[in-house]
Amino acid sequence: MKTAQTIYENGNHKWLALVRDPSRPGYLIDTNEYLVAVGDDAILLDPGGAEVFPAVFSALSAEFDPRQLGKLFASHQDPDIISSLSLWLEFNPAIKCHISWLWTSFVPHFGGNDETFVAIPDAGTDILVGGQRLQAVPAHYLHSSGNFNLYDPKAKILFSGDIGAALLPPEADGLFVEDFDRHIRHAEAFHRRWMGSDRAKRDWCSRVSAMDIDMLCPQHGAIYRGEDVKRFIDWFANLEVGVLKY
Amino acid sequence: MSALSLPAASRQNAGQELRRIVRINEEIKKVVTTAFKINLMAMNAIFLAKRAGQSALGFGVLSNELRRFAMDLQRQMETLRIATTDSVVVVTGLVKQTRVERIFQRTLAVSKGQGRRMVEACLRARNDRYSGDESGGVTALNRRLSQMISDTAQLVELGSVLARSAKIEAAYGGTFSTSLMQVSSDFEQTISDIQKSLDTLTKHQSQEFAG
Ligand SMILES: [Fe+2]
Ligand SMILES: [Fe+2]
Repeated sequence: MKTAQTIYENGNHKWLALVRDPSRPGYLIDTNEYLVAVGDDAILLDPGGAEVFPAVFSALSAEFDPRQLGKLFASHQDPDIISSLSLWLEFNPAIKCHISWLWTSFVPHFGGNDETFVAIPDAGTDILVGGQRLQAVPAHYLHSSGNFNLYDPKAKILFSGDIGAALLPPEADGLFVEDFDRHIRHAEAFHRRWMGSDRAKRDWCSRVSAMDIDMLCPQHGAIYRGEDVKRFIDWFANLEVGVLKY
Repeated sequence: MSALSLPAASRQNAGQELRRIVRINEEIKKVVTTAFKINLMAMNAIFLAKRAGQSALGFGVLSNELRRFAMDLQRQMETLRIATTDSVVVVTGLVKQTRVERIFQRTLAVSKGQGRRMVEACLRARNDRYSGDESGGVTALNRRLSQMISDTAQLVELGSVLARSAKIEAAYGGTFSTSLMQVSSDFEQTISDIQKSLDTLTKHQSQEFAG
């Protein structure tokens, strides 16, 4: 089962990472889910696929009262991101799902209705959680054509979705990146193939370089901290993407 | 977990039920094609009887009856097709609920405290919502389907009598006797094909749902 680990805590403002599920069957890609709780309000970032719902729900409810969950953030439309939507709606039919306007008529195939979705415009928007302003930061074409990161300026954490993702071998189960050079080998093939636009990549790199980031949290793999954040952005800026040779 | 176990045993068999309905639908499609063939055959027979004139009056009457039969059969198959489509909708809903149910049971097994209480409440609410209407809906649809299949069997029995009578009338067809005999044998053969399809349909239909 997954475990919930606190990666940031300041008063009633908290980030939980729901990570690593050794009991997950091998045919499912491993995912990280993050919960940002501020007071009695909370948002779950990339809630995950329907098949991992039991693991996510139990890890979450071990550390947090799930009745307080009223918001979901989906970085994009993929099944490993948001196919659990109908299950969360069973618990709270009033739950809101924040997602790019591009996907608001696609994701209802997973569940929800016209009340469920809050469309994020291309330029991004602020999402208020317990009075704390979180920023949906554009990351289009990386890899999805309607794609957002979520930045918490107070915690200085950037949730980066598939950007920064690494497909780690089972023995590399640390929460944080410890050895960047060793780690990034497991990220290279993923970024080359999944990230489609070099221009979008350069835009994103310059945008996030200007931001104050302590932690960069991807949806797969380990979290980049401190100097590794800048290392990752530089590495990504120099990586050739969107070229498929076969 | 007894109070929270699957509300209807039928829900477990939803996938099986869906496969059964697909088989029924395939058989219906076969009958529809054959009924269309009979319609064309009857039109040919009417034409042939007109050419044979006085000597094939009885055959002509029967050809008209067979054509009416073919059209009744087509209509009957259309209502049957609609009924199976309705069943597909209901059963697909059940398949979906089964999956949700399975995930919630897994969630219950690994949750503690407040989370566990939420899953329990949710399962109880689902029990109230779905136990009656969905499996009840399937039962009603199945009953309707069975009734329609037996109505169709009766109609086809009538077609079979008409084909046999046409065969007898063909014998009085004078110089046209051979070709009239050929046509009525074709009728007989085709209607017996339909009867075989209906037998298969009845077999699929009577396979106990929730068994
Ligand atoms: Fe993705
Ligand atoms: Fe992903």
